[in-house]
Amino acid sequence: MTGTRWLFVLYLTLIVLGLAYVIVLGALGR
Amino acid sequence: MRRFLHDNALGLVFGLGFLLALGGQAIAGHADFNSQQISHGAEPISMGAYLTSSSFGVDVAENWQSEYLQFLLYVLGTVWLVQRGSPESKKPEDIGTESDVDQLVGRHARPTSPAWARIGGVRTALYSNSLGLVMGGLFLLSWTAQSIAGWAAYNADQISTRQDPTTWLGYLGEADFWNRTLQNWQSELLAVGSFAVAAVYLRQRGSPESKPVGAEHADTADTG
Repeated sequence: MTGTRWLFVLYLTLIVLGLAYVIVLGALGR
Repeated sequence: MRRFLHDNALGLVFGLGFLLALGGQAIAGHADFNSQQISHGAEPISMGAYLTSSSFGVDVAENWQSEYLQFLLYVLGTVWLVQRGSPESKKPEDIGTESDVDQLVGRHARPTSPAWARIGGVRTALYSNSLGLVMGGLFLLSWTAQSIAGWAAYNADQISTRQDPTTWLGYLGEADFWNRTLQNWQSELLAVGSFAVAAVYLRQRGSPESKPVGAEHADTADTG
C-alpha cells in the first residue's frame, strides 16, 4: 500500500498547489 | 510496477484523464479568450499569458469547488439521510454516526485498524471525520481561490470596458461570482440526487456503484 499512499499524497499536493497558484494569480491581479 | 498499476488503476486513470482534460481546457480556453479579445478590439495574448491569467484560474477553480462541495454534502448527507432502495444509501435503521462497535473505534478496533481509530480522544474524533474535513477544507480553499481569481478577472474586464473595479468583498456580492458559483452547484446537486434515485431501479452489472442486477428495487445499501 506504499504506492497508494504516495498516490494519495500526490493528489492532495497537486490540488493544494494548484489552488495556491490560482490564489496567487488572483492576488497579483493577473 | 505492474502490480502498482493494476492496484491503483482507478486513481491513475482518472488522474491522467484530469491532466488531458485540463490541457484541452487550456487550449479551448485560450482560443475563446482571444476571440473575445479580438471582438472587443483588444490584442490576443500568448498561451503563456493565458495560463498565468486569473481568467484561466477562475474557470478551473469554480468547477473544483463544486466537486468538493458535492463530496462534502454527500459524505455528510448520507450519514443522516437515506434513500430507500439505493446502493448509495445506508439502511434506514443505521441512520446517524453508528456505535463504536459498528465503526471499530476505541477498544472495538481490530489489530489491523488504523492507530488513530483505536487511540481515543481528539485524534480519534479527528480521524472519524477526516474524509469530511478534507473534502470541506478543499471546498473552502477552492471556493476562496475562485473568489480571488474571479475578482481579478472581473476587474480586468471592468477596466477594459472603462467601468469601475470593485473590492474583493464587493465582488462577493456581484452577480458574476454567484452566477459562476450557482451554475456549478445546481449541476452537482441534480446529478447526485438523480443518481441516488436512478440506482434504485437501474443496474450496472459488475459496478460497486450499482446493486446486483437481480437485487430487489427495495433493497437498500446492497452493492454489487
